[in-house]
Amino acid sequence: MSDAHATDAGRDVSRYMGMTMQELDELRIVGHGAVAPHLLGRGGSLRAGALLTMIDSVGGLNAGLAALPDGWVVSTNLAAQIVAPSRAGPLRFDSGLLRRGRNNVVTAVEVRDEGAADTLVASGVLTSAILVPQNGPPQWDRPLTLDTRAPTGPSPVPPVPEWLGVRMSDADAIEIDLAAEHVTGGGVTTDVVLHYLAPNRIGPIRAVARTVGMRRDGAVLRVEVCDVGAARTTAVAVVTCATTG
Amino acid sequence: MTAAYPPDQHLLRDLRFSFDHDGDGTSSRAWMPVVEELCTDTGRARAGALATLVDVIGGGLAATAAAPGWIATADLTLSVVRCARPGSVVEARAQVLRAGRTTVVIEVALVDDREEDVGIATMSFAVLPRRDSNPEVDRMRDSPSTMAMPHSRLARPLLDELGVEVRDAARGVVDVPVIDWSRNSMGAMQGGVVATVADVAAEAALRSATGEPVVVTELYVTYLGFGRIGPVRSTVDILAAAAARGTARVELVDAGAENRRMTVVYAVATRDLP
Repeated sequence: MSDAHATDAGRDVSRYMGMTMQELDELRIVGHGAVAPHLLGRGGSLRAGALLTMIDSVGGLNAGLAALPDGWVVSTNLAAQIVAPSRAGPLRFDSGLLRRGRNNVVTAVEVRDEGAADTLVASGVLTSAILVPQNGPPQWDRPLTLDTRAPTGPSPVPPVPEWLGVRMSDADAIEIDLAAEHVTGGGVTTDVVLHYLAPNRIGPIRAVARTVGMRRDGAVLRVEVCDVGAARTTAVAVVTCATTG
Repeated sequence: MTAAYPPDQHLLRDLRFSFDHDGDGTSSRAWMPVVEELCTDTGRARAGALATLVDVIGGGLAATAAAPGWIATADLTLSVVRCARPGSVVEARAQVLRAGRTTVVIEVALVDDREEDVGIATMSFAVLPRRDSNPEVDRMRDSPSTMAMPHSRLARPLLDELGVEVRDAARGVVDVPVIDWSRNSMGAMQGGVVATVADVAAEAALRSATGEPVVVTELYVTYLGFGRIGPVRSTVDILAAAAARGTARVELVDAGAENRRMTVVYAVATRDLP
């Protein structure tokens, strides 16, 4: 939810991901997303970048609602561990509030695969900064339900790498995952910490990965995302990528 | 209390850190000699000790970047890729990634004295209005400098100095008192020590779950509140466990403050670092 202050509040990305999100009691959000063909990676499971983007969407909405009525939020960093592949779906995203401070909101998101006996897929924490949008925070009927499953993009929905060619924001996690996969020759992202530093406004967006070191469980990479047209770094991530070699 | 921080008998002195800060406030370096007292039973510097080095150099640089405001640490992440052995020196190279109105983000590269990567860390901070009790940043950036005094050193293993008590290894239940030796400038348990408690708890639970002598190589620490009273108590949920790797979620509470939640940590433990 990196551009959550915009009118559409991150729903473009949610539409591509095909998500629904519902506010429950006490500021808890439950989201659902399909393991859709256009989001699959080489191994036939959901791409880590797509999964992280979904976590960001659900945790970000949770944080935004917690920030009301004072303001809305932008994601500042996301840390997540992916502990199992998601192949069946639908995936359920349970987000809860960990902390609501004056300046930021922290939410925890747990992801389970309902089609695979509710297996734990991933767990993460999202930190969001509270900002006051120029036109004020969004006004929504509560409890909020968002159904963003109808894609607004080209039909059929393009797979992730092609989709990135027409998107310039909200895609940091996907860029980072693709860069990590590329530099490791097909590795699978398992752990990510992602710091959102600035919005991607002009493009093209470029992700560059550097191997920090190799461990028995994979490669540890530093990935930097730049908005080349704006000549600035927009995100930095540290990624652990499981390799088969 | 800030004028005298840290006191003569304090963790940050006994770890014998030394510092060098650049003139424009965008980068800093720090060095930590690796001694046996900082190591796990596998003979490598504990992730929590490295996190303490990161916390100190990252916090100092962030305070400079946020001036005239002050900072509160929001999170600290650490990925370890190589062993740091006793007798070596770990250098932390910190740089500002972002210094905004509300947040500061710092990246810290850890290298050994052969210029090999030991790990990589990040920290983010919320920017707050300055209080009179906050330390003076200019004084912190005297360079080069050290907090160590002539007598400063760890007399016992770090976990013994901290008073760590493992109450239930399989469930990762660890108790640690909040003592003057390990307080931060706000009077609460120092951030690197908090990471160390999570390190110990995750290691105990993941060793039990995997049956292997794994050590913590990843820490993702989200600070939610201070531990002022103690004991600080941990519990661990195992998220995944295989022979060479385990993942756990650690929660820390201040048991003396009605179990107020302090910190949530994700930890990964692995075997056989280079």
